[in-house]
Amino acid sequence: MITELEVKNLLRTGGYIADDAIATAVFLALRMEKPILIEGPPGVGKTGLAKALSEVLDFPLVRLQCYEGIDEGKALYDWEYGKQLLYTQLLRTQLDSYLSVSADLREAVERLAAEESLFFSQNFLVQRPILRSFLSDKRSLLLIDEIDRSGDEFEALLLECLSDFQVSVPELGVITAHHKPLAILTSNGTRMISDALRRRCLYLYIGYPELDREVAIVRARFPEICEDLAVQMVTFVRKARELNLRKPPSVSETLDWANVLAILNATRLTKEMVDNTLGVIAKHQADLQMIKDLATQELR
Amino acid sequence: METVITRFVHALREEGIRVSPGECLDAVHALALGGVEGREPVRALLQVTLVKNANDIPVFNDAFDFFFSQQEVNPFFITPDDMMGAYFHIVEGDEVTDEMLEKQREDRPSMLSSAVDLTPEDLQNLDWVRDLEDDSDGPEIQVRMKGGKGKNKAPKPSEFNLLNLPSAAFSKSWSADSTKVFTPEEIADMHEVVSRMLIRIRKDVRRVKEEQNRGKLHVIRTLQKNYRNGMVPFIVSLRRKKKVRPRLVVLCDVSFSVSYASRFMLLLLHTLHNRLMDVRSFIFNQELAEITDLLSNMPVNCLLEVIDSGKIVDMDDNSDYGKVLVNFKKRHLESMRGNPTIIFLGDARNNYNEANDWVMDEIREKAGYLLWLTPEDRETWKRGDCLIEQYGAYCDKVEHVKTVDELSIILEDLFRSVYTDLAPRKRSIREERNKAAEPVNYMNYYGQAEAAKGRTYWMQNNPSSSAWRERFGISYGKRK
Repeated sequence: MITELEVKNLLRTGGYIADDAIATAVFLALRMEKPILIEGPPGVGKTGLAKALSEVLDFPLVRLQCYEGIDEGKALYDWEYGKQLLYTQLLRTQLDSYLSVSADLREAVERLAAEESLFFSQNFLVQRPILRSFLSDKRSLLLIDEIDRSGDEFEALLLECLSDFQVSVPELGVITAHHKPLAILTSNGTRMISDALRRRCLYLYIGYPELDREVAIVRARFPEICEDLAVQMVTFVRKARELNLRKPPSVSETLDWANVLAILNATRLTKEMVDNTLGVIAKHQADLQMIKDLATQELR
Repeated sequence: METVITRFVHALREEGIRVSPGECLDAVHALALGGVEGREPVRALLQVTLVKNANDIPVFNDAFDFFFSQQEVNPFFITPDDMMGAYFHIVEGDEVTDEMLEKQREDRPSMLSSAVDLTPEDLQNLDWVRDLEDDSDGPEIQVRMKGGKGKNKAPKPSEFNLLNLPSAAFSKSWSADSTKVFTPEEIADMHEVVSRMLIRIRKDVRRVKEEQNRGKLHVIRTLQKNYRNGMVPFIVSLRRKKKVRPRLVVLCDVSFSVSYASRFMLLLLHTLHNRLMDVRSFIFNQELAEITDLLSNMPVNCLLEVIDSGKIVDMDDNSDYGKVLVNFKKRHLESMRGNPTIIFLGDARNNYNEANDWVMDEIREKAGYLLWLTPEDRETWKRGDCLIEQYGAYCDKVEHVKTVDELSIILEDLFRSVYTDLAPRKRSIREERNKAAEPVNYMNYYGQAEAAKGRTYWMQNNPSSSAWRERFGISYGKRK
């Protein structure tokens, strides 16, 4: 029995500062055994949440990175043809003697058919991430990362897995999960995820965090950065986000920047400091100048 | 609790958020697990389970605030938390007395049974509850009722697929003098239109690609692929033939009269470019300008602003199709490779300039397919300075498009046919066979030419062939 507050505190011990929405979603996912679909701009800690959860809950992390053209052979299971072939070769003499008993061809075929399950058993099944997480010894955390990169076919493939936590293998039948994993799907919203998949998931939108939370995140990761500097830089980054940049700086950029500033032993944000470390927050040539202008405006 | 949630879900549906019964159940389940203390936790619980789209979150928040704090309509002046709490008492049945149950039965339409004295005014205020009750027949009926109530946000079942399309923006008017730049939602919607279209086309594309992939065995790649099978070639990799990508050339009139259609077209091309085909795009008014590079390197809104500002073509001029055609021939037609599909988008209102329709003839020769899209109704084609009939004579097809949906349907058809035309061998062989089966009438003039094709040298040079025309400088139509 775990409550939302406990989830929040647990995540905090893992270095992840969650807000109410995140804690609620995780709590519900744990209790209702439903997958979470996380959307949001890149770099706000979608994958980070999964990693932190797997750490604090002690669920082994099974990660499936999606890409265009991913299919069931890469995500669910695959047959090990080579091994099957090898076994048939090695067992040839046994097979010969086994089949030589039979009177005619028909009987031989029947005898062989009876042993077919030998070659289509779990022994020859390569477990891909989803099946692996279903069959793991303890409850695991299945991270399906950047699902918007995959095609619709793959989405349809996930429907069965995520709603019933089972995988149908035509040769073996249905394999149900030993322990239902905590499934987390992330998406950057480059493509609309189908409603069918959305309905099977809890939906969590992680946007850019509030000022307090972002400061807390920076402070949790880099305790050597003093409170004032953290507030100053987070305020600056938040202003930069409103500039309509090509690539607005997200939390991960803030953290990188905090890291750089910590290395430089900064205590206050100055214009020179921003100019020197510009490349950490601006990821586009057109953005550089805009952030420089902002620095001249805000800091002297 | 179930009733409250169901009513809330109905309220959400009224606002246009699609909530399935399963999600409704989830919400109830979640509330049972998470408890109902406090307003924000409940909001978070409901949001996680009921809202499945980031764009719907603000609407959800408004609906939540409205529903659980209806001070004006709620006759009891009880805070939402109290209301929920009290309701839980009743539904979960901790300390429900017979008396309370009886009261509840009496005041069914009201949300609370432990109500204070009711006045007639209060009863009138209860109407909203009854409204919700009426709606509980399922989405279809609800939608129908909504049509009557004039809430255009409600999805109509038949238009379900087209719900999010920017039709609304499009149907405003063609000469949209309102804001011209697309909103992010519009862009997202159009991207969705395109991706939906791509999904439908994809099947054809895949077939074409499969046919393209046939060829000799690629030994190295086959070995690489079958390494884990002990080099036994279970999976065969073939040498790809040269990839054929359809070429598309689009000329958009950006003058005031058709600007909105052109905008959508440009956006469509922007999304299509590099995904399926090579697209060269031009815009013209009086001058012609190629914007292919701009399209692929610039965000759409920036590009539209630049076009509006008149930096590419002068927006104050009137469109001059004749001049544009001549310029197109001079500068670009020679450099067109392959047999591109050429699409014109414009109303062909030439402002009484020179028509120069002989260029269309040459374009037609170069183009694999020539399509003209016009936003004008067929009745008005003959009126005024409209040259559509003159130009249209050279086109394979002249289509009248009025809405985004029409445009996307026409383009989808076009892409499909372009792709299937590219399907090599199989199709062409089949077509050849069909042609061979067709009896050719050698008796008449055209039949002779047809029969001579690919046979003897002298017959090829018959006057109906383009080669002949070129050699002797014969031209049809007036040439300058």
